[in-house]
Amino acid sequence: MTPDGGIRAQGVRRSFGPVHAVADVDLVAAPGRVTALIGPNGSGKTTLLLMLAGLLAPDAGSIRIAGADPVAESYVARSRTGWMPDVFGTWDSLTAREVLTTVAAAYRIDAAAGRDRASELLELVHLSELADQPAHVLSRGQKQRLGLARALVHDPDVLLLDEPASGLDPRSRVDLRVLLRHLAAEGKTILVSSHVLTELDEMADDAVFISGGRTVDTRSVADGDRPRTWRLTGLDPAALAAWLDENGPAYHQEADGTGLLVELSGDAAAAALLRSAVEGGVAVSSLAPAGGVLEQAYLALEEERR
Amino acid sequence: MSVDVEVVGSAPADGGAARGRGTWSLSWHGLRTVTVLELRQRVRSTRWKTALIVWFAVVGLITLLTTGAFQMLSDDSGLGGGESFGGTVYSIVVGFVLFLGLLVAPTLSSGAINGDRNAGTLATLQVTLLSPAEIVLGKLAASWIAALAFLVASIPFLVWALVGGGVHWLALLTTVLMLALVLGVVCAIGLGFSALVSKTSGSAVLTYLTIGAVTVALPILFGLLVPVTSTTEKVEVWDVETGYTWEETTAPECEWRTHELPVWHSERTWWLLAPNPFVVVADAQPLNGNVEALANDGNMLAMLQYGVRYARTGDTGPQDWCSDYVYENGREVQPDSPVEPVQVTDQLVWPWGLGFDLLLGAAGVFVAVNRLRIPTAELPQGTRVA
Repeated sequence: MTPDGGIRAQGVRRSFGPVHAVADVDLVAAPGRVTALIGPNGSGKTTLLLMLAGLLAPDAGSIRIAGADPVAESYVARSRTGWMPDVFGTWDSLTAREVLTTVAAAYRIDAAAGRDRASELLELVHLSELADQPAHVLSRGQKQRLGLARALVHDPDVLLLDEPASGLDPRSRVDLRVLLRHLAAEGKTILVSSHVLTELDEMADDAVFISGGRTVDTRSVADGDRPRTWRLTGLDPAALAAWLDENGPAYHQEADGTGLLVELSGDAAAAALLRSAVEGGVAVSSLAPAGGVLEQAYLALEEERR
Repeated sequence: MSVDVEVVGSAPADGGAARGRGTWSLSWHGLRTVTVLELRQRVRSTRWKTALIVWFAVVGLITLLTTGAFQMLSDDSGLGGGESFGGTVYSIVVGFVLFLGLLVAPTLSSGAINGDRNAGTLATLQVTLLSPAEIVLGKLAASWIAALAFLVASIPFLVWALVGGGVHWLALLTTVLMLALVLGVVCAIGLGFSALVSKTSGSAVLTYLTIGAVTVALPILFGLLVPVTSTTEKVEVWDVETGYTWEETTAPECEWRTHELPVWHSERTWWLLAPNPFVVVADAQPLNGNVEALANDGNMLAMLQYGVRYARTGDTGPQDWCSDYVYENGREVQPDSPVEPVQVTDQLVWPWGLGFDLLLGAAGVFVAVNRLRIPTAELPQGTRVA
């Protein structure tokens, strides 16, 4: 990968009249990694993705998609970008296969290669059996999968996926995760926005948090050394609490369960706590991060904003 | 998953410019892709097929009724049915087809862009490697082809009317050609408005208003301008002799006299009539300058053509007020009048009208292409990008 591959956005702004949809966003998504774009509703995620996809011109700031500027070098940038919008329609009267061959033709892929590519992608998103059905008979989740296939037709270097998991059944979600990991392993840059944070936990390498149109935090999901909340349960909760009172860090009772929540600085601290608990003769039945990394980070950010 | 995709670097008409294709880049490959997509979308909706069948039935019915009515008329009038009424039927059918075409064509194109935008299918097309010009012209081609299907469905009836006699076969050719061009222009105007406003109903209304302005408002303006374009001038008149009392039994002598008369200079405003689609279609046929033959034929298209040519001719010069009063032995005789019978100009009107209409259509395409340029800096009120 070239050093300037992936997605680089700096100081990007965009307003619609008096509304500053995107006020100041910095974002870097590296090739070979899945980057999660996380933010509350109305935080500017979709607007940002529209600018990255080259549909909307930013008021200020610079964007590079696989090295190309979507404003000045629209054609090159478009040829390298695959975009799946959050809400999209399908050409109702076309069959799933025709949708893909049409998109292939629109990407200037010749007809024979386009047909092969369509079959391959239909197989990939498990729509082969419905390939020759008109698109309007597809369910929401199936349309979503077709939308993903459409974004992949021209084998783009950069994938922009806006809420790709919405409407998908559990099986398809797993397939999506496997597919995205696979594409990332091939060196593609993948930016995914979603609200389902536990899911992003399992597929994302990095996360960019935006709120109110600004980048508020950027972190690595795999980073185990950040302080976070862990959930601790024991066979005898009272004994566990008593042991913690004496030896352990500060804790508090989980609001809606039997576990105890402790703030630990990282994986090493967790291991140390577990070891000392076992040595101290406390019957610990589980010690695990409470909620996903991203969920915690997200909630922490929300907390700060209030 | 294999990632080998063979991307055609240069489509047939594309040359080597594939790397930096701009807004106005066009390729046969891109145009065909959009046109085929649009037609597939449209043709598979049964609504469209029904419309075509209804159209065929309605035009057929009108042709049948007109033919029948004139058949009965000529039988009743005791003229022996020998008189040709082909011209009348022909002009009614052509007028009707054009009228219906002006009603139907806007519906084919005025939702092509904002409809797609609302359905969320436009942006997914814009992010591909198609240029805005390819998307717009592809959509134009599709709606034009659809409009031409209606025209083709009416051709049997035009030919039928032609068989009735009285119309030159060349007229059929020019008529169909002009009808096709006019429908294309209407599609292009609809497409322009479709890119301009967000609601499909809004763009349809604006398209109808534009057609209405060209078809109705301009001719009305032409009429309203009559007082302005009329001036009082000295006109040479081949008049009845001075002092003729009209009680004498002998026919008057004719002589040249000069009168102060209002003269209508329609040659200054004839161009207001030219863009009217009916005028364009009528004027493109071969001119029949014989007024009496026109009146006998009842070919309204030919009369319309004569009318606009007359308007373009304007001031016809000296007038003859006398020759009709010259009798000998109780019978009207036509003495040699020094005033030439009015000859309408053979200067064409339709190229100006069609030219204007084509400019309107080109403006529609231009607006649409500009609106589809990405990345967009401005959004039309109330529209979403995707």
